[in-house]
Amino acid sequence: MSSQNGHVIETTDLTKRYGDVVAVNNLTLRVPRGGVFGFLGPNGSGKTTTMGMLLGLVHPTSGEARIFGDPARHPATLRRVGAMVETPTFYPYLSGRGNLRYFQGIGRRGAPADVDRLLELVDLGKRADSKYSTYSLGMKQRLGIACALLGDPELVFLDEPTNGLDPAGVVEVRELIRDLGKGGRTVVLSSHLLAETELVCDNVAVLSRGRLIAQGSIKELLRQHDGLRLRTTDDTKAQAILSGIRWVEHVERHDGGLLVTGSQARAWELSRDLAVQQVYVNELVPVHRSLEEFFMEITGTDPTTGKERS
Amino acid sequence: MIGNVANLTRWEWFKLRRRWMLWILLVFAILFAQLAVWGQFFSYQNLQTTGGELTVPASLQQQQGRAPRTVACNDLLSGNPARQPADLDAQVVAGLAAQCRQQAATLPARLARAYQGFSLPGSISTALGIVQTLALILIAILTASAIGIDYGAGTLRSALTQGIGRWPYLTAKLITLAVIAFLGLVVALATVAIASVVATSIAGAAPSGAATATWSDAGLALWKAWTSVLPYLALTTFVTVVARSSAAGMAIGLGYYFAEQLIIALFSNLFSWFQNIADFLLVRNISAWTGGSGGFGAAATLPDQTHSIAVLAVYTLVLAGVAFWLFERRDVQGATGGG
Repeated sequence: MSSQNGHVIETTDLTKRYGDVVAVNNLTLRVPRGGVFGFLGPNGSGKTTTMGMLLGLVHPTSGEARIFGDPARHPATLRRVGAMVETPTFYPYLSGRGNLRYFQGIGRRGAPADVDRLLELVDLGKRADSKYSTYSLGMKQRLGIACALLGDPELVFLDEPTNGLDPAGVVEVRELIRDLGKGGRTVVLSSHLLAETELVCDNVAVLSRGRLIAQGSIKELLRQHDGLRLRTTDDTKAQAILSGIRWVEHVERHDGGLLVTGSQARAWELSRDLAVQQVYVNELVPVHRSLEEFFMEITGTDPTTGKERS
Repeated sequence: MIGNVANLTRWEWFKLRRRWMLWILLVFAILFAQLAVWGQFFSYQNLQTTGGELTVPASLQQQQGRAPRTVACNDLLSGNPARQPADLDAQVVAGLAAQCRQQAATLPARLARAYQGFSLPGSISTALGIVQTLALILIAILTASAIGIDYGAGTLRSALTQGIGRWPYLTAKLITLAVIAFLGLVVALATVAIASVVATSIAGAAPSGAATATWSDAGLALWKAWTSVLPYLALTTFVTVVARSSAAGMAIGLGYYFAEQLIIALFSNLFSWFQNIADFLLVRNISAWTGGSGGFGAAATLPDQTHSIAVLAVYTLVLAGVAFWLFERRDVQGATGGG
């Protein structure tokens, strides 16, 4: 059962320090029940540490983390959660089937027949009896996903689940994640492949340097950061005029014109205000930001490399 | 909670029994146990055939420069000139024969002792004398490997996210290892029992006064051998958890056994007060508890059994306690489950 307000994950001022380094800083996060929740942030932003705290692997320095309304690290809570955090880790001398049987056994997650079903689900049926040490990176990743689904958990954490997969595998896993998010189950997906994330996630939270800098539905967040591209008779003067308009969030030079962040519904006001000051619009085009552009704008980093934008 | 630990123990066995290492270590234990039995058997056979042997130093041999050689008392005392050593001076032969006549008085007791060493139930204690020393080394290897792999392969993270609890997980590992140590000793001793039956049937009738060992002695020896493994299991667990590495666990587990005895040998000669400290060291107390074997120390200088079992209990509780405390409170993060 989720908490009374319908959130499966709730953190309040969750903080983790390693000496002087603050990995997660007063994180207050709410993950709604059902659907796929994107957990985004550049490398070192605190995503994995947060997942670790939610899964009882990392002890918080302060703050509180709850899953289904119960303390996150409680074993009974964790039995309702599946997870693949960081790289998938299994015993190299056991087969894929042996590994799943082991983790199913220790966690008492479902019936033995589920192992075969999950191996088929992630397309490892034919290699189920091969030793894990002989698996390719993509196969290891698939086994990690299968392990996270043992016992049909209500909440699933998937950290970079498409790492090492070929393009066809990426599409398969994307479909799988989308299916998993249906029927009341919640999937928390951490990925730097933002195009993929945008396709499967309903809601996202963005972390940067241990802080939550944005949270909400993707549609809403992107809509807020939609904008207008315009070319005028005098872009320099137009930039100065537009910067003075209260509802315009940001104006910048872009591709030989101007890029304005603000409501597309008020585009006519821009045209009017510029005309009043003898600046005339040659071109006015609505611009829809991708999640990747949004991410880069609010974090100032490249989602793939984690490096700051120049 | 008990059900959880029992379930985890079952699955730890599922995992361990699929490792070659476990079976290779068991083969080593069996081989050493067999060595003890058959060593005693051949010693008995030799004693029976030769009546005892005497070593003739090179200086007493007519042909100088030869290596020391042995002569059989049965040959010397046979009175048959053909069985006398032709390459020795008559006076030397006479001297050796006199020694043999002296030794002949103790021959029945020696034969009885050797027979007891390879026949049941005495062979159990004989084998344990060797196997319990080896068991310390084998359990160090197995413990370091079984606990360290979770750090090395990073599987600790996968295991702990199953909602099993940390201390039940480590408890299950230690219970499994302790049970494996016990079963390993039992299996090795079972092969000893089989070998004993074979050896006694080959040896024929027992010499007079051979049956002094009892089954309760054998049971006590097994109990002591197994309990002496537990503090060593705790030591290796402690090192492996602290270092988060099976290599460190193995290195310290194996190295400590020899290092302690070398340190005692060195410092006891230099400082008389060091003997008091030595009486509280781990391997020395294991030796004392198991009756003098399992170390370099002579039984006469070892602490008494009450002292040794108390010291071993403290070692076990403290080392395991610290290992549990660290295991419970540390963060599990990164590729190897380190902090």
